Amino acid sequence: MPETDVLLASRPHKPAVPQRTNSIEQVRSVCSIGAMHTAAAIPRAIPITHCGPGCADKQFMNVAFYNGFQGGGYGGGAVAPSTNATEREVVFGGAERLEELIDASLEVLDADLFVVLTGCIPDLVGDDIGAVVGPFQKRGVPIVFAETGGFRGNNFLGHERVTRAIIDQYVASYDPARDGAREPRTVNVWSVLPYHNTFWRGDLSEIKRLLEGIGLKVNILFGPESAGVAEWKAIPKAGFNLVLSPWLGLETARHLEKVYNQPFLHRPVLPIGAAETASFLREVAAFAGLDPVVVDAFIAAEERIYYSYMEYFTDFYSEYWWGLPAKFAVIGDSTYALALSKFLVNQLGLIPALQVVTENPPEETRSGIEAQFATLADDVGAPVLFEEDSYTIHQHVRATSFGHKAPILFGTTWERDVAKDLKAALVEVGFPASYEVVLSRTYVGFRGALTLLEKIYTTTVSASA
Amino acid sequence: MTKELKQIAIYGKGGIGKSTTTSNISAALAEAGYRVMQFGCDPKSDSTNTLRGGTYIPSVLDLLRANARVDAHDAIFEGFGGIFCVEAGGPAPGVGCAGRGIITAVELMNQQNIFEELDLDYVVFDVLGDVVCGGFAVPIREGIAQHVFTVSSSDFMAIYAANNLFKGIQKYSNAGGALLGGVIANSINTEFQRRIIDDFVARTETQIVQYVPRSLTVTQSELQGKTTIEAAPTSEQADIYRALAQRIALHTDSKVPTPLDAQDLRDWSASWADTLIAQENAAYHPHALVS
Ligand SMILES: Nc1ncnc2c1ncn2[C@@H]1O[C@H](COP(=O)(O)OP(=O)(O)OP(=O)(O)O)[C@@H](O)[C@H]1O
Ligand code: SF4
Ligand SMILES: [Mg+2]
Repeated sequence: MPETDVLLASRPHKPAVPQRTNSIEQVRSVCSIGAMHTAAAIPRAIPITHCGPGCADKQFMNVAFYNGFQGGGYGGGAVAPSTNATEREVVFGGAERLEELIDASLEVLDADLFVVLTGCIPDLVGDDIGAVVGPFQKRGVPIVFAETGGFRGNNFLGHERVTRAIIDQYVASYDPARDGAREPRTVNVWSVLPYHNTFWRGDLSEIKRLLEGIGLKVNILFGPESAGVAEWKAIPKAGFNLVLSPWLGLETARHLEKVYNQPFLHRPVLPIGAAETASFLREVAAFAGLDPVVVDAFIAAEERIYYSYMEYFTDFYSEYWWGLPAKFAVIGDSTYALALSKFLVNQLGLIPALQVVTENPPEETRSGIEAQFATLADDVGAPVLFEEDSYTIHQHVRATSFGHKAPILFGTTWERDVAKDLKAALVEVGFPASYEVVLSRTYVGFRGALTLLEKIYTTTVSASA
Repeated sequence: MTKELKQIAIYGKGGIGKSTTTSNISAALAEAGYRVMQFGCDPKSDSTNTLRGGTYIPSVLDLLRANARVDAHDAIFEGFGGIFCVEAGGPAPGVGCAGRGIITAVELMNQQNIFEELDLDYVVFDVLGDVVCGGFAVPIREGIAQHVFTVSSSDFMAIYAANNLFKGIQKYSNAGGALLGGVIANSINTEFQRRIIDDFVARTETQIVQYVPRSLTVTQSELQGKTTIEAAPTSEQADIYRALAQRIALHTDSKVPTPLDAQDLRDWSASWADTLIAQENAAYHPHALVS
């Protein structure tokens, strides 16, 4: 019955504010040791996990399997060795077991870098991991360790610990006389969270392509287009660091500034679409002192292709305007939630109805994130809700007024039920995306924006059939 | 016929006399014809030494370290008067989790139904020092000991430790944990010491089970690797331990104590310190000397 549908879709905003539950239903991040994927994301690096049985497997199945079915690759998934610590390691400490495992791993696994990550058991019992790993390092084994027990926070914070560990224990010192002078046109990129962000491989490839397009040499550090540990070793030689996210990677950049006296550029908005991408590239170019002629030429070439596709797309857009959503909700980690909101507001003219940031960003980063959302466009701002619990999030979604048209939700597989109830379109753009097979797809930059448009409107138009 | 197994845990500050007192209680109970197990819950593994001529026995955790599966019988050794001696043991100092070790050792005995199989009348747990973490609270948690006794002298640090233990007991009391039988007042030789410990038990609503004086007989016995009951059975001190054991044997109703909060405890000890200083001043006052 169409009348009731309209009524349902346009029911007024419910005043009742959902209560915090103090529990987390349907997780949107995993524990710190999930950062084993940060190690696995570096070509030919292998994580070694020192944790209880199930810890590592759970991370893999969550972050790398039922999330785009990305797979384990060279060093992740089923390859990663684990101590499988049990009661014996709890009572007597697990140092000997870990040492034995490292020895065995060195024998059977061929890697450029091993990263030992600890789970709750060794961190609680107080195993001295440095004392186990130290002698291997002294022998010249490329190995580092990070303490990533679950109680230390989620995998975003684990990621920061792992990158920090690699920098401090493996990349180590920089000596211009030995390593060569700074290369002002080389950049280290700190952006989306590998594996957790379902599209990280494609996204990092596009970012690398863009930065190379304006004349930079890029240490992308993670994913198939990274040169692996050689890139990491070259970190101190780069002219600057680029942090392309609201907060993730910022601590790393500050640390690199301190130890290598290396400047950094913080651009909170991951660029999606022509306008944001062009503005991003111009800011980077100005920071790095690149030749504006080269930069403008690259941007112009990219824009020509982008807008040519747009021209064709307008036929569809003007014909189908009545069936397309006007309001959107976005539920995801701050990097994607912000990037998508910017794009949807500025390029598609959609109206932000609900913005939920789900990765529990550190308290001190929240006002910055709020400020970004407050200025999505000159005349459009939106409040942000920081929430991890899907039950609460879905209550908020249900309590949001989306007007008389069915809304579009940008979220995860967890939003399937609420989307069905609201007859909303759902684009799964983050962890977990359990019904998407993702290889090199990207939603960022010039190219990714076109893919995103395809995805958005394929979803909406196919719902009308 | 099935008899009631009575499980008792003895707690107290490090070095206060837990093992000495526990071993003498076990020895007195054994002498009286009961079947007794003494279970040392201390990584030092020295609880049962004076029941076995001053020798150490392999601990449950020593066995677990060497073998994935352990037969609990291999960790039980016969001591004075047929006492079953067990040491939980623990990791090397500074590594692993000693608290979890205690849990593991106690669980092993429970899983293999050792207490029932040995047809014991008493299991006496001798638990290390302060209740620093959950592991050392295991004997007072549900289903293990029914009665807790704490060994304390009149020293404030010992009383602090006893008060902390009371807090632990209070916490677990709602969850079916063990309750407090009372305080074994060790090394009480003067009236003043007695007044301090009496005042503490009055305020925390518990009782003194026995005053045990500090005695050279204990030291001499220990040097022979024996309990006082074994080495000096006719001594006055041995009779004091027998009286203590008897009161524990007869003891039925334990209670929830009322520990002092941090500030009250501080105020309380300060007031006793003032009394002590006043007394000493009086003792050294010239008038006191001539009078
Ligand atoms: N009533 C007493 N008279 C004389 N000496 C005593 C008395 N009680 C304990 N001692 C002595 O005090 C020392 C410490 O006693 P014991 O080993 O029993 O303490 P503990 O509380 O078990 O210590 P720990 O916490 O280290 O296990 C021993 O040398 C013991 O002989
Ligand atoms: S929270 Fe701790 S125990 Fe749980 S998976 Fe993470 S490391 Fe393992
Ligand atoms: Mg002792």
